Amino acid sequence: MGTMLSFKEVTKIYPGAEHIKAINELSFDLEDGEICTLVGPSGCGKSTAMKMVNRLIPMTSGKILIDGQNIDRLNTIELRRGIGYVIQNIGLFPNMTIGENIAIIPKMKGWDEGRIKERVETLLDIVNLPAEEYIDRYPRELSGGQQQRIGVARGMAIDPPVMLMDEPFGAIDPINRDHLQNEFLKIQAKLKKTIVFVTHDIDEAIKMGDKVCLLKDGKLVQFASPEKMLTEPANDFVRDFVGGDRTLKRLNLLTIRTAIRPDPPVVLETEKSATAGTIMTETGAKHLITVDSEGRLTGYIDHEALKKDGETVEQIKCETEAFLPDTSSLKDGLSEIFSHDLEFLIVLDDSKRVIGTLYTDDIKKILRG
Amino acid sequence: MTSNFLTTFFRKFVPALVAIVIVLWLYKYYGALEYTLKNLAEFFRLIYEHLILVIISMAAAIAVGITLGVIMTRKALEGISPVIMAVVNVWQSVPSLGVIALAYGILPLLGMSGIGIVPALIALFMHAVAPIVRNTYAGVESVSSDVIESATGMGMTQKQILFDIEIPNAMPVIMGGVRTSTAIIVGTAPLAFLIGGGGLGFWIFTGIALVDMGIMLAGAVPVALLAMFVDYLLAMLEKVVVSKGIQADQYA
Repeated sequence: MGTMLSFKEVTKIYPGAEHIKAINELSFDLEDGEICTLVGPSGCGKSTAMKMVNRLIPMTSGKILIDGQNIDRLNTIELRRGIGYVIQNIGLFPNMTIGENIAIIPKMKGWDEGRIKERVETLLDIVNLPAEEYIDRYPRELSGGQQQRIGVARGMAIDPPVMLMDEPFGAIDPINRDHLQNEFLKIQAKLKKTIVFVTHDIDEAIKMGDKVCLLKDGKLVQFASPEKMLTEPANDFVRDFVGGDRTLKRLNLLTIRTAIRPDPPVVLETEKSATAGTIMTETGAKHLITVDSEGRLTGYIDHEALKKDGETVEQIKCETEAFLPDTSSLKDGLSEIFSHDLEFLIVLDDSKRVIGTLYTDDIKKILRG
Repeated sequence: MTSNFLTTFFRKFVPALVAIVIVLWLYKYYGALEYTLKNLAEFFRLIYEHLILVIISMAAAIAVGITLGVIMTRKALEGISPVIMAVVNVWQSVPSLGVIALAYGILPLLGMSGIGIVPALIALFMHAVAPIVRNTYAGVESVSSDVIESATGMGMTQKQILFDIEIPNAMPVIMGGVRTSTAIIVGTAPLAFLIGGGGLGFWIFTGIALVDMGIMLAGAVPVALLAMFVDYLLAMLEKVVVSKGIQADQYA
């Protein structure tokens, strides 16, 4: 994985405002396949920085390299056609059908009909809007979320290595936004584009970014992974900007796997109840997780259960909902523990086998670093 | 479905039908029909002249109006467009009769005849062009800046943006201008008679001069029917040239 996009001391001064550097010697490198979220208070220059990549705004000095190539050496139209562009209000062309909207750049590039049709269908499939239903409809017939997905599909029409997204989910209501963000991350996991993503929302920046680039008054304040930005804010401005709840925000970034306690207290459900009782007394455990012969979760037993009649564990076990896969976020894990008032949460792998437990103490330890 | 059809029927067709029936009754009552049938050859000549006046002046007005309207939206002219618009607005407020009179008075100063079909065409053209310029300018200006920005950012050239995005999306407004203009011109064309331009104005003004309602209506009613017919044709054309994605759901 090499560097795909780099800013080298990029400066922008608007004519008529010579004393203000809208962008002040901005430098950073972005690896191939990474999302970089540009974030900061309004007027910090995040949109300006992004729009210099496809020269919608000409830079005053400095260099921007895409895949090692200086963008100044490229013809503006060719440069733009090679970069996916998605904006907040989507900007779908209302006079064209969904199919025509997506096909517009491939058409200009001179692709043949068959290839264009195939590409449009693939893209509609990727964004989960069935081609046969949507291809001939017009933008106004779609909901805001659907239009946004078409916007993303259009941006990816010629499979560009680099995409620019200017608050792409900014105009969507919070529930749909969360859904679209997750969907987009899924698509990105498959396609691995290098993306510059502008947002004013620090939560979105942290959620979507592999790197977060925090700007203030045109200057780079911190360029780091979301995890690092939360644990090691560069200065007070960053600390304030990420918010007083930055410790809790980390819970969203970390998966349960990072805090898992191995060797869970399990017992085979075919064991005698008495044996289970002995284990509990010996280890002092209040609960035992019951599993089948494959190690899959079937329930749990506690001291109450032991008082019931039944020869084997299977006959006395209780049902439980206190489990999550190890890929869930620590935030979800903690939420489960609190809402069910649990001592611990059972952690499962993909095939529902019990692989560990999650305790609030372990989460605390991780957050303290 | 049925109720929808009935609403449309009552809203659109009933008033038109009532108007047509009343007019045709007057037409017959005052002997206009009889007069027309007696002078059938002249009637067709006048219709022909009238159509020539409308078609030629409108064709020129559409070509010039749309071109000028589009040019005014270009970045380079940003500064002077408001000035041109102000002139166009004042110009549009000159009454039709005034435009005809101006042609009669001013053209001789330029070394041209103020009498005949050419001055009539020039006057009608001048009168028709204003609504088209205005609507074209307003229509292209109103295309969402987000749409233009994404087209630019995606790498479309200025020319592609103009012809594939701006003009198609301004089409409903441009067509509105063309329809307004055509309605005005069909109704103004009779005044061409005053400066020797021919057309159905011949019968209208003869009727007025002789205080003969029959002759007057024999000229006026065809003008009204012609206006309705031409507007209907343009409505059909609008359905063809305006993309389904931006057509109004229903024409009022």
